[in-house]
Amino acid sequence: MAEGGLLLLATVSCFSGMAWLALAKSAHWRQVRRGASQSAGAMRGLQVAGSLALLLALWLCLLADAPTMAALVWCMLLAVSAAAVAFTLSWRPHWLRLWLLRRG
Amino acid sequence: MFANFRQAMAWVHTWFGLVLGYVLIAVFFFGSLSVFDREIDRWAVPETRFAAQPMPSFDTVLKPVYDRLRAHPDDMAATALRVQGEIPHPDTLPLASLYAYTTHRDPVLQIGGEFAIPNKPIDASDDHQHVHGWASIDPRTGAYLSEDKLQVGSDFFYPLHYSLHLHWKNLGYWIVGLAALIMLAALVTGVVMHRKLFRELFTFRPHKRTQRSVLDLHNLTGVVALPFHFFFAFTGLVIFAGIYFPLSQTALEPLAKQHEVLQAERTGLPHEPAGIPAALASVDAMVAEAKRRWALRDMPGEVGSLFIDHIGDENGYVSIYRAGSDQVALVGQGVHFKASTGEVLREDPPLSPVFSVNEFLTGLHLQHFRHWLLRWLYVFGGLAGCVCIATGFVFFVEKRKRQLAGQSPAALVRWVDALAVAAVTGMLVATSAMLVANRLLPEDLLGRALWQERIFWYSWLAALAHAAWRSAPVARGLISPAWREQCWAYAALAVAAVLLNWLTTGDHLGKTLAAGYWPVAGVDLCLLASAGIAVKAAALLRIREGVRKRVAEGTAGTADSSALDTTLEPARG
Repeated sequence: MAEGGLLLLATVSCFSGMAWLALAKSAHWRQVRRGASQSAGAMRGLQVAGSLALLLALWLCLLADAPTMAALVWCMLLAVSAAAVAFTLSWRPHWLRLWLLRRG
Repeated sequence: MFANFRQAMAWVHTWFGLVLGYVLIAVFFFGSLSVFDREIDRWAVPETRFAAQPMPSFDTVLKPVYDRLRAHPDDMAATALRVQGEIPHPDTLPLASLYAYTTHRDPVLQIGGEFAIPNKPIDASDDHQHVHGWASIDPRTGAYLSEDKLQVGSDFFYPLHYSLHLHWKNLGYWIVGLAALIMLAALVTGVVMHRKLFRELFTFRPHKRTQRSVLDLHNLTGVVALPFHFFFAFTGLVIFAGIYFPLSQTALEPLAKQHEVLQAERTGLPHEPAGIPAALASVDAMVAEAKRRWALRDMPGEVGSLFIDHIGDENGYVSIYRAGSDQVALVGQGVHFKASTGEVLREDPPLSPVFSVNEFLTGLHLQHFRHWLLRWLYVFGGLAGCVCIATGFVFFVEKRKRQLAGQSPAALVRWVDALAVAAVTGMLVATSAMLVANRLLPEDLLGRALWQERIFWYSWLAALAHAAWRSAPVARGLISPAWREQCWAYAALAVAAVLLNWLTTGDHLGKTLAAGYWPVAGVDLCLLASAGIAVKAAALLRIREGVRKRVAEGTAGTADSSALDTTLEPARG
């Protein structure tokens, strides 16, 4: 059961990482923030947060499974998360405001 | 010939991708289904709907089972072509070696063995003088499962994934191998062609005109699952490397034979029988000893595979392998015993790096481990591959439709579109038709397995004929109605399969879900969910077909993209 929890956290962490990396791109930032412009600092911060979240996901995968298995799970989670973020941006971009920790 | 490198890459990607895409989409789709092959088996063979079983006792259950095992008629016929004279009756052939294999998902046990034959081979270099027998058994009773109860997942969809069921001269393996190689080339050329790989990583614009949005989806599914596509094409080739490069049976045969002998010397496992008859000691005691040794190594486990060579001979030995439920490799940690006494001959040491890598690559593709999340992630990867190929077809057709609109009908584009319909929706129709046939054909029908396979192929052919017949609008720049009609056909067949499962076995979703019996509940739920998606797709296709038609009529045949986009506006959900 603990493994399930770790993998769930890894999935959430992976999705968040991909969401932040997407928001670091100005085109997607504008989709989510309805045209508000993005400062260079914010962009940098999102990139760092995104990368750290992906690394955190890898660490959680390693805690849950043997290293060989964990590497496979992490690679596939990256793929699913990237696709999930892309589809969220296509159909429900405002949902990603949650990842900017603001409502507006 | 090409103005620049990128154009050359685009040419390779387009034409090789188009031709082998039809093979690859089937390989991807049936590979995705094979992730849950055992579960589909349970759905298709209701009498095997019971919990997964561990390897049963050899001494009490399996021994009498192997006494009843006979050489398979298929292999008798195949072997008869390779040897001189007539092969004696199967009842008289002695069993020379045997195996049993199971995983944590198997209620039924796969068994088999090799029978020695006295015949000389026609080709003197052919040293394989055995006929094989195989079967699935119920490990609780030792009863044989009838072959006419086709295990649709592991006996049909899975071999379709790697052999296309083309067995003549192993042609299917070669076509799939070539397709995997082209897949690797398509990935490389695709990455070269894609100008904005990272910038557009998260880009999918479903409301743009079809050509743009399918290209987005093609890039998205291709790029996010790139590691998966690469590794599965590559490991698929590694698994069948022995077929593609049969060096150990051709150029390097003497070396390979010498290696076998040396390895037998090194491991202490006899290469040849001694010719002295000997009885078999208790295999259950050997299993207990193997389990004790695994526990000592801090990796307690169940038996995954059992193998006995030189049966009834003084040199006979028993190999017991641990099931790889908790590792990527299929099985491992083999312990080998002298068959006549039960003494330990050898315990496999940890693998050398080369062998570990090979086992990892094979294991990651064949996935006999216990990890349900990873299984579903693989299904995602496989279906992403299907979407990538399907959108590739649609892009090819859309691009040429715009060039053709209003001109004389172009046979190529019509055929590409018709084949794409057959390869995408037609494949779904064939699969669901097979499941319906599985539930509808009489239980005692002779050749029931064969009929299920025939219905699969015939319905696929029918889908192709239907797609070709309905493809005329494509030449006018319109959407073929075959896409929509086959979506409906799939939805109807999928729902019918779920209902027929209920009617013929009584296992409806309420019952299987309440019991937590996921193999059958899961197949039913996937059928219903995919039927829902098919209905939604049909509805969206209908809107687009209407819009295209109005645009085509309104602007005298030139499909103007801005007009198309505006008219599509109300259709955006």
